[in-house]
Amino acid sequence: MNTNSNVYTVIYTTVIVVVVAAVLALVSQSLKSRQDANERADTISQMLTAAGYGTKAEFGKMGNAAVLEKYASEIEEAFTIGTDGARKADLPEGKVFSPKELKALNYIIKDEEKAAEAELPVFIFKNGKTVVPIYGAGLWGPVWGYVSFENGTATFTGAYFDHESETAGLGAKIKDDPEFQARFVGKQADFGASERSSVFEIVKGGVSGESGAIDNKIDAITGATMTSKGLDEAIDTWLYAYRAYFNANAAPEEEPAEPMEEEPIAEEE
Amino acid sequence: MNAKIKETLLNPIFKGNPITVLVLGICSSLAVTVTLKGALVMSLSVIVVTGVSSLILSILRNTIPSRVRIIVQLVVVAMMVILVDQVLKSFEATYAIDKQLSVYIGLIITNCIVMGRIEAFALGNKPWPSTLDGIANGAGYGLILIVVAFFRELLGSGTLFGFDVLGRFGYVTNNLVILPPFALILLGCIVWLQRSIQKDLQEK
Repeated sequence: MNTNSNVYTVIYTTVIVVVVAAVLALVSQSLKSRQDANERADTISQMLTAAGYGTKAEFGKMGNAAVLEKYASEIEEAFTIGTDGARKADLPEGKVFSPKELKALNYIIKDEEKAAEAELPVFIFKNGKTVVPIYGAGLWGPVWGYVSFENGTATFTGAYFDHESETAGLGAKIKDDPEFQARFVGKQADFGASERSSVFEIVKGGVSGESGAIDNKIDAITGATMTSKGLDEAIDTWLYAYRAYFNANAAPEEEPAEPMEEEPIAEEE
Repeated sequence: MNAKIKETLLNPIFKGNPITVLVLGICSSLAVTVTLKGALVMSLSVIVVTGVSSLILSILRNTIPSRVRIIVQLVVVAMMVILVDQVLKSFEATYAIDKQLSVYIGLIITNCIVMGRIEAFALGNKPWPSTLDGIANGAGYGLILIVVAFFRELLGSGTLFGFDVLGRFGYVTNNLVILPPFALILLGCIVWLQRSIQKDLQEK
């Protein structure tokens, strides 16, 4: 048989590609649920770490089932809010946001026209911590994570960050270095900031001198300027979107305003 | 076990090591040798990919149209790489490591060892020796990876397989060791060592 004829070549490559595609589709379909379960447990352990229930390494050793159980027993409520701070909907039980979903949300909140449509997740844990996600661009790829606040305040109680491909030993410290994450504890986010970029600051060269009324600065990572900057921007962007919610809740006596999505004026006229 | 098979198995480990002698697969060996765990998983992944793709392509070798043989090789290797990545992502034990290795598992396809051995060996030999050749070359690659990772994790993080070794003696970790250039320096030292033992590799 002439294996060099055109017809043979075309048929051969077609068959090979179809067979390979079928194998990959089959494997992908059959493993998808396991992969999603792993990703979900990973996300949940990040949130639990930020909320101060333990370290990421401890959750890694616990195994997926124990992590899910811990989450189910510790979550008080999970819901979404709009950028106006008003509550939109309750999240279904056990719902968490994968990095992909955070990415989609990130596009919405960065777009000024669409920002009002954003449904931002808020997770409140039984130990009195409010956990919210952040997402943005690092040096080589996305960075994301979770920061926690004492309920009703703008004071950080914990943080955990993850990344796709930051430089090992430098930018990767946002994930691997618990000391960096611990720098957030006790700092505050300036939810009254007039500009997005001054909600929180990760400062190069050390935090010097007396900061203003709101202590919202931490030291950046040495040798990872771009990752620190990217993380700073991610935190700024997301917390700025949450500012109405936090401002409403920081005032002790005030209940969050009822949603006023439709403008009543339009109907009256 | 005849002499020829023994030669196929042992040659790539030392005398014809893909990294130090053929200088293939350098890029990934710089990237994934920060921790021993990562290097180990990467080595096993490469062994599986080279072994199985060599087997498949050796079985198909007489049917492949020679004009498109590289494309056929690529398709088979790409399939294996994706399969390995998917499987690593599916188990609790390997999920975290897969995340750490991120793009480098996917980039096994660009590892010259895989395509190089298929082109040079699997397309001209029977399935069994081809499989062994693939596995042995993957192992030769893995051996160097593990040696480099041993020093980089020990000196860069003070740990081995994540367990604290030097840190308890007050060792201050060295950032240079963690960066890719140090892997190149270490590789250079290994090549130097090998060539001073194995004189026939020295160029006149």
